Amino acid sequence: MMIYFELFRTFFKIGLFSFGGGYAILAMINQEVVLKNAWLTNSQFMDIVAISQMTPGPIAINAATFIGYQKGGFLGSVISTLGVIFPSLIVMTLITLTYIKLKNQPWFKNIFRKLRLLSLGLIAAAFIMIAGDAFRDLFSVLVFTASFIASWKFKLNPFYLLIGAAVIGIALG
Amino acid sequence: MILKIFITFFKIGAFTIGGAYAMIPLIRREVCQKNNWLTEDEFLDGLSAAQSCPGPIAINLSIYIGFHLAKGKGMATAVLATILPSFITILIIAMLFQQFAEVTLVQKAFHSLRPAVVALIAVPLIQMSKQSGLTLSNCWFPLSVAVLVGFLKISPVYLILITIAFAVYQGLKKQK
Repeated sequence: MMIYFELFRTFFKIGLFSFGGGYAILAMINQEVVLKNAWLTNSQFMDIVAISQMTPGPIAINAATFIGYQKGGFLGSVISTLGVIFPSLIVMTLITLTYIKLKNQPWFKNIFRKLRLLSLGLIAAAFIMIAGDAFRDLFSVLVFTASFIASWKFKLNPFYLLIGAAVIGIALG
Repeated sequence: MILKIFITFFKIGAFTIGGAYAMIPLIRREVCQKNNWLTEDEFLDGLSAAQSCPGPIAINLSIYIGFHLAKGKGMATAVLATILPSFITILIIAMLFQQFAEVTLVQKAFHSLRPAVVALIAVPLIQMSKQSGLTLSNCWFPLSVAVLVGFLKISPVYLILITIAFAVYQGLKKQK
């Protein structure tokens, strides 16, 4: 019973404090799931990020469903997934009703200017948190370099990039 | 109407792989052009509201559109339909993962996927630093966030709350 409550609480918190979408919330998920609750190791965390980039849906939802299932079976996955979208339901409804009035207020605009910079720091933090565990050998460094170039220079879609990395890992790793 | 909302958002949820930014053009096409549910202006307002709110952008956007179309019922339908494809997919993978995690091939694949994931995080870091208005005088801020959260393991929660409080204070002071 306790685990369901913990799952809901944790993913509610992740949902509430995930600004900027995508990679900016990885630091938040890592902090809660790896550091605080020790539900996953850093390597398992990266596995889930990889899986979530190859399947439909936002990372936060994917992580909630996956971890919820591992910790509390089917019910755990339902509770975690609902937990992560619950804050959106509340805040987004409030914002939808007031957004037109708010959007031209300087203080409101200032929040997002500052949060954008914060997100940048949070993505860097996520990088710092997991990079150590990813680079275990020369092979990892080569895969990183190749992926970096493919994504940066050639704008390769993350889906194909990860499929490619998996195939190379199976063939050469 | 509810059924139509469900089908449209299920489709949106199922065909968007690789983040919200891949999803936005598809949502726009479905909602503004195919179904004429929203005007372009209404869509853009919803999009910026969705980006401002906590939570995944795609979910926030479906809340906005669902609410616009059929109030609470539309909202619940749109959200449920958006998350259902990813929920089912991940559930199946999670079930299989426990059995296959020890298989050598799977381990080899993930050994190679991890550094690729790190690269996927590194690239937007560089791209975003251009778009987010980073300058020499304000780069101390994201840098200290990175150190506080990345090395000192401070929860992003505190930093987000402080940032919002400071931004509101600064904005209100300017207004006067």
